[in-house]
Amino acid sequence: MRHLLAFICLLPLVSWVTAADYYEQLNLRPLPLSALLASFNFRSNTSFYDFESHNFRYFPRSLGQILQHAGTRELHLRFSLGRWDAESWGTRPWEGQREGGTGVELWAWLESESDEEADEKWLILTNALSGLFCASLNFVDGTRTTRPVMSFQPEGDHPTSSIPNLRLLHGVLPKEVVCTENLTPFLKLLPCKGKVGVSTLLDGHKLFDSAYQSMAIDVKPICPEDGDCVLEIEQTIDMVLDIERSQRPQEIPRPPPSRDLKCDTSKPYHAPNTCFPLGYNASQEWSLSQVFGHPMKGTCPLTDPEIPPVCIQVPHSRSVYTSAGVHQMKNADGRSRCFTFDSEGDFDIILPAPDADDTGEIIANTTTTMTTTDDELIKSPTPLIYAERSLMGHGQERGGVQTILTNPSQDTEVEFIYMESLPWFMRVYLHTLNARLEGSRGKAQPAMIEDIYYRPAVDRARGTQLELRMRIPPASTVFLTYDFEKTILRYTEYPPDANRGFDVAAAVITTVRPRVQSVRTTTLLLNLPVPDFSMPYNVIIFTSTAIALAFGGMYNILVRRLVAADEAPSRLARAKLGKLIEKFRSRKSTRK
Amino acid sequence: MRIGDLLRLPVLLAAAALPPTSLAEHTSNWAVLVGTSRFWFNYRHMSNVLSIYRTVKRLGIPDSQIILMLPDDMACNPRNAFPGTVYSNSDRAVDLYGDNIEVDYRGYEVTVENFIRLLTDRVGAEMPRSKRLLTDDRSNILIYMTGHGGNEFLKFQDAEEIGAFDLADAFEQMWEKKRYHEILFMIDTCQANTMYSKLYSPNIIATGSSKLDQSSYSHHADQDVGVAVIDRFTYYNLEFLENQVQDMSSKKTLGELFDSYDYEKIHSNPGVRYDLFPGGEEAARSRRITDFFGNVQNVEVDRVKSLALDEELLELSRTIAALRRKADEEDAAAAEAEAALRNATVAAANEGRPPPRTEMRRVQLAKPLTEENWWTRKIVGATALAGCAALWLLGSYFEPGRKRDGLVGRSKEAVVDGTAKSGP
Repeated sequence: MRHLLAFICLLPLVSWVTAADYYEQLNLRPLPLSALLASFNFRSNTSFYDFESHNFRYFPRSLGQILQHAGTRELHLRFSLGRWDAESWGTRPWEGQREGGTGVELWAWLESESDEEADEKWLILTNALSGLFCASLNFVDGTRTTRPVMSFQPEGDHPTSSIPNLRLLHGVLPKEVVCTENLTPFLKLLPCKGKVGVSTLLDGHKLFDSAYQSMAIDVKPICPEDGDCVLEIEQTIDMVLDIERSQRPQEIPRPPPSRDLKCDTSKPYHAPNTCFPLGYNASQEWSLSQVFGHPMKGTCPLTDPEIPPVCIQVPHSRSVYTSAGVHQMKNADGRSRCFTFDSEGDFDIILPAPDADDTGEIIANTTTTMTTTDDELIKSPTPLIYAERSLMGHGQERGGVQTILTNPSQDTEVEFIYMESLPWFMRVYLHTLNARLEGSRGKAQPAMIEDIYYRPAVDRARGTQLELRMRIPPASTVFLTYDFEKTILRYTEYPPDANRGFDVAAAVITTVRPRVQSVRTTTLLLNLPVPDFSMPYNVIIFTSTAIALAFGGMYNILVRRLVAADEAPSRLARAKLGKLIEKFRSRKSTRK
Repeated sequence: MRIGDLLRLPVLLAAAALPPTSLAEHTSNWAVLVGTSRFWFNYRHMSNVLSIYRTVKRLGIPDSQIILMLPDDMACNPRNAFPGTVYSNSDRAVDLYGDNIEVDYRGYEVTVENFIRLLTDRVGAEMPRSKRLLTDDRSNILIYMTGHGGNEFLKFQDAEEIGAFDLADAFEQMWEKKRYHEILFMIDTCQANTMYSKLYSPNIIATGSSKLDQSSYSHHADQDVGVAVIDRFTYYNLEFLENQVQDMSSKKTLGELFDSYDYEKIHSNPGVRYDLFPGGEEAARSRRITDFFGNVQNVEVDRVKSLALDEELLELSRTIAALRRKADEEDAAAAEAEAALRNATVAAANEGRPPPRTEMRRVQLAKPLTEENWWTRKIVGATALAGCAALWLLGSYFEPGRKRDGLVGRSKEAVVDGTAKSGP
């Protein structure tokens, strides 16, 4: 809990924001197993008066005009890849509030009088954003749009008069790839455009090589108690880098020669020709320029110089080396330190491995590298809930979904909302919905599902929306299962790569008590029955053959007279006829 | 000539007098770069498109004027050992994906429908401007396509095809809507030359990688990427563009580019089509490469420009004055002629002659039917009909007779029997 507070203590910077209109910061947190979490945060705001009069300063004009055109009061856009390994890495950054499901996720509060008007504005918004962010957001149509009831709450301070007219729409594209073309417009929204300051560290080659990354854009109104309301845009990138991987040269790694292998000599089968390789060294030396590909260039002059642009969360006992022009400040909590920079130059921060400490002591546990001590890492807090979701069943007709939800806390009950938005071709049998406490099969179940909001799918028009309010007792695991039927699509509804399967969007889990936290499961890959796509050609050939046979036979019957051999005029008869003709002719000629 | 026509004259004249300086010019450059192949093993088609993208960007066309269609994700593909990059050469010197790329249509959006809608601009109101081809009749467009094709078709995502006729009709619609000035159409697929064979709209230069029944081959593979990285036709085009067209000052012409095509290198017969271009082969070959691959950069020097404009305006006003004078004269002459004619008519009436026919030049559209003609025609028609009927009757009268004579073959007998049987 203390660590969490240490992490959260960086959040109060929000309150300073009104003083300086632009703020940027990079938080680095080493994670176990040679991973490194880098959280970039960029915030800028504009007063409502300036926004309404199209006077944009730090707020990006391109996005601002879209928001005005589509009547959007609050916007949340996410581009995510990879999986957050909660077991090793602990709580998600920003309590999961800046995380999105794999692919692209968008939700917004639109101001409109009716649902139809909201749909129109949503269409405008998704299409405009698809042009701005180079993503296929225009595919968020009626079948992929839901109106969540319980899961999402507005983050901004909306005037009470406009709240009845705010409508929430939510859409996900789980298949959407996230790549450099999405990062490019993201960086162009920043006042310093990725040319100077913290944002120079954002490079597509490293960002999309990471184990997990989530880009977020949040626009919301903020009304401080003393002062005018402002519209704030917050851009966040969280990425988990593999330090070892990011340090390798830009080529395919070749297996090292056997003499360079580090073997675990404690294994009983260890021999000169058998080797159990040691795991990653938890603490390797790394530097900014290594993990991000290049050093940080200058500082963005638009930020408040008081706010340190880079912070690292390592214990004070570890030493950190810096290049010239970097000034270190250790925070009072003993677990983090921040760095300020001169205005120009290339800056680097080097974190040496703890065993190569300036004290020169070799820590004894470097051979058993899987364990890490408190001296090396700040331990991440445990999340309120663990969730994993998978597909069950077999065959082409039916299937099931199972979500395993675990409450790791020993004493606190967790209440949360579980939301699924499923595609229409996954027909859910709601009566099979079942929540089972682990190890209580056959025993009386405590009622865990408190409330259900269910909006069934309509074929080709809208997807299923399922929201459950649930409660899990302390230190227990719940299996949530339901069955579904797979639909056979029409021939033209299959995408070009139908055999790959269809992506099902991540489930969103929002805890309500003891505090708000957000968790998303991974997406599912659903295999639908896929026809043989050469089928139409086979059908054409087959029908053509059948028609040819039928027509030929019919035609023959119609125009030919079929007679038995004995009924047909015989050769003899023909000869007689010939003679008769000859006789006739000769008579004619004689008559002449 | 009436006063209204006269007032319109300066406008018409201005429109007619100004273009000679700008007729051969374009005021904007656009590029439509389309890859049509999905799946990892078609990596080379992606790098084909991206190398052309890099070239046009290098020569100054901004991202807002490039429509890039990429049907699959190669750069961030899990199979790609080099995330965020696409290479077109195994030396991996240039990362085509780079740090600044904007893809307009990607993934499932790359369809035949979207491509044709893009060209013809038949899109919904919600379509953002960055995904539209906002060209006009002074825009030069480079259209580059690559993928898997065949005789007169090109496959999109292995799921649908665009035909050569579809493409030709789309270009025609663009021409009708005044959506281009000149088009350079390049295509790198198997049997590529068949794709442009059906084009019929003017101002198009087309080139393809291989003729009918010829494959278009890949150039080389990168063992670490694991697949072929570029096609031959595109590779040698790029080689020329990179080496010979360094910047916008290049004077290289399309003719020189087309002459650089070599069967020994490309392993197929690239084709070029000039006949749609006004001025034919000669005019098309003399077009600069930068007219299509680079962005137009008209430097306007204020003084010179204004001097030229002054001169032009002076000349124009002189012409207008002269024409006005001429028109007045013509009007006067017409009035005189009319007066003379009236006098003549009066005189003729006095003399008892018919007045001279003034509407002699009018074209007679249809011949009026005269009374006597109508009756003869009716009679001729009736006679012809009666004759036909008589012939038929005669024939049917003689037929049984001939049959009795045994002159009819067996098969004919069978047919007659058959129809007789199925009749009732």
